Amino acid sequence: MSDAGMTDGGMSGGIGFAAALAAWDAAAPAPARACGLEVADLLRGFHPDHRPGGMVSLVAGPNEGAPCPAQLAVLLQSDSLLEDVDLAGATILDADVLVLGGGGAGCVAALAAARAGARVLMATKLRMGDGNTVMAEGGIQAAIGAEDSLQRHFEDTLRAGHFAADKALVAALVGDGPDAIRWLIREGMSFDLADERQRMGGALLRKKPGGATAARLLSYRDFTGLELMRALREAVLLQPGITVLDGHPALELLTDDRGRCGGAALQDLGQRRLVLARAGATIMATGGAGRLHLAGFPTSNHYGATADGLVLAYRAGARLREMDSFQFHPTGIAWPPHLEGTLVSEAARSAGARLVNGQGERFVEELAPRDVVASAMLRELAEGRGIGRDGKLGLFLDTPSLEREQPGILAQRLQTLSHLAHRAGFDPAREPFLVRPTLHYQNGGMAIDTDGRSALPGLLAAGEVTGGLHGRNRMMGNALLELVVFGRRAGASAAADARQERPRNLGLNHLAGWRRGLVAAGLGLEAKGPLLFPPYGNVTPQDLRRRAA
Amino acid sequence: MSETEPAGTPLRLVFNGHALQARPGVSLLQAWIAAGLPLTENVGCMGQGVCGACRVLVRRPGERIAGTALACEMPAEEGMQISFIDHFPARRPHAYDLSALTDSWSIPDQIDAVFPEAKHCRHCSGCDRACPKGIPVQRMVNLAAEGQVFAAAALFDACVMCNLCVAACPEHIDPAHLGQFTRRMHAALTLRPADLMQRLRQIEAGEQPIDLDAPGASPPVQR
Repeated sequence: MSDAGMTDGGMSGGIGFAAALAAWDAAAPAPARACGLEVADLLRGFHPDHRPGGMVSLVAGPNEGAPCPAQLAVLLQSDSLLEDVDLAGATILDADVLVLGGGGAGCVAALAAARAGARVLMATKLRMGDGNTVMAEGGIQAAIGAEDSLQRHFEDTLRAGHFAADKALVAALVGDGPDAIRWLIREGMSFDLADERQRMGGALLRKKPGGATAARLLSYRDFTGLELMRALREAVLLQPGITVLDGHPALELLTDDRGRCGGAALQDLGQRRLVLARAGATIMATGGAGRLHLAGFPTSNHYGATADGLVLAYRAGARLREMDSFQFHPTGIAWPPHLEGTLVSEAARSAGARLVNGQGERFVEELAPRDVVASAMLRELAEGRGIGRDGKLGLFLDTPSLEREQPGILAQRLQTLSHLAHRAGFDPAREPFLVRPTLHYQNGGMAIDTDGRSALPGLLAAGEVTGGLHGRNRMMGNALLELVVFGRRAGASAAADARQERPRNLGLNHLAGWRRGLVAAGLGLEAKGPLLFPPYGNVTPQDLRRRAA
Repeated sequence: MSETEPAGTPLRLVFNGHALQARPGVSLLQAWIAAGLPLTENVGCMGQGVCGACRVLVRRPGERIAGTALACEMPAEEGMQISFIDHFPARRPHAYDLSALTDSWSIPDQIDAVFPEAKHCRHCSGCDRACPKGIPVQRMVNLAAEGQVFAAAALFDACVMCNLCVAACPEHIDPAHLGQFTRRMHAALTLRPADLMQRLRQIEAGEQPIDLDAPGASPPVQR
């Protein structure tokens, strides 16, 4: 998890912590310095997606010729961990709908499918709820303000994503937004109110997310994802018709002789055996890829974010999009080292906290889109205006000035942030955070339609594993919205699809063609995937399979 | 996790029976990883302290009783003995249908019907000691049993679903699930924001169309 950074020499050094602290203290509140670069040039020069040599072209599979980070390409173009013979004697489970992944999208999809009458099997690698959703802090977008509109949310999302998103998907996302909030309240999720006494007939507290033209971010304190996941977890546990399999990562999709997806082969980590889950429809909700540590960056993602779903879907024939676009959240912890990469929520900047360099200057509009803020920060670091502390390089997030301007805000509205500072060993009201960009989100993913269906019959998808909603940069608050809106859509579609189709002649039918393609492309069959756990997890899928034998 | 940390005398720990050494300042979870031990469960958010997966029993030298903690938040200390605690679900589900709770006059009856064990709390404080977030769990249980839903819900604001209180309760009250019941009831029965309801009415009346071809939905024309 050491960070190579994006430039070799430029990242080292910076301004010493004590000198930077003095410069900050003398100048606070920090004066702004003009950027002096066009946004396009800033992104081209400093965003990690654009670093020289970072991308390769895929040479096999549905996206042949498309750019993709080199580390991810190895996994996407890898061979299966399974052979046909491995399926013999495996335990078989049957369901109408199989959901792979137990984070927010998986839970919403499972609930929607079960309430549409399907028998649902939800398989997850870790434990239900232990994903990126529960870690989400800032909030969820929905255009409910009188001055706001669905159209503004639609245009803001497209613009923030550099107009690379699928307009029909974005329209579905923002159009379902207010109803998604009502759905969450019905599931028992709380939201912050403008006036806590006005529970009936009052107004929701709204904040302005980076890149938005209106205050549209709804929240529950600064642990919105935890509040959402608590309600969803109880809902799933109590919903008749859902069976949850914790500790059951998918190793391969099952396909029939027409290439249709009919379930997945799961590894039961507890019993160390293979389980074949057969289903009329399968929903991929396996999340993102932060634990690949692309470009050597630390990550804010949970332990299991290793791109497993992308690898399985791609191999079975699903098309991906914008796989060369990742989000680096501006404010990950840079120091102390034991918390490196941990997120400091955008809620701090939304509330007015400024970013300050080693010379005591503001260098970017803090609520510009995330890719712009992160690139501006990486530029400061590369050009020697970063702040060095114990060999770690970062920039100040000025929480003391925020507390001076809005007394009490740290204790009342930014609890997670205050808790984090406490664990880092300092008082955020007196000392600023030292932060730097951290790998946060996979902007692209599986191509889907507005019903959540992928190009591969029988396979649907929801949540971070999908692409097309965020274009080349995601707005804060659209990830939680996406998992609710498309979890509901995919769950309902899967329940309907499962009524039409029963799986038959299932096996690893797609692998023969896949392997021919890999060999024809000169890649060989040595690389295996999915990864399941990051290298510092000290276990490979092959280890797990060997122990099973 | 990094090569540039300040050096210090290594700490000696025993973790799930493995004797291992850890650098000062690392969390118990980081100590496990740095020792090269395989990690396939009891892990989630890795340090944010919000998922409740990395539950451990911890005993310090000289202590008579082992306490509970989250391994991602607890710093390693010299001589600690640590053991992961598996996740196991409550003994029986306390089943309810949130959408069927329409009569708010009957809240005390409904809490008692779904969680009949709550009134049997024997005030042992086992749940309070088990909670890694310092929630006064027992007080929440007692408030909920008296029908004080809002007060009970407020106390469970910081719950991270580790379910250690469920494991600790000798009366099988399942405090974590009772706490979520009060929280969910609080939101589902009383949260009715007017601005949200107005926007939903407008959408249902067709007054919030989305124009896919509006000027703002395409890149600005290059100057």
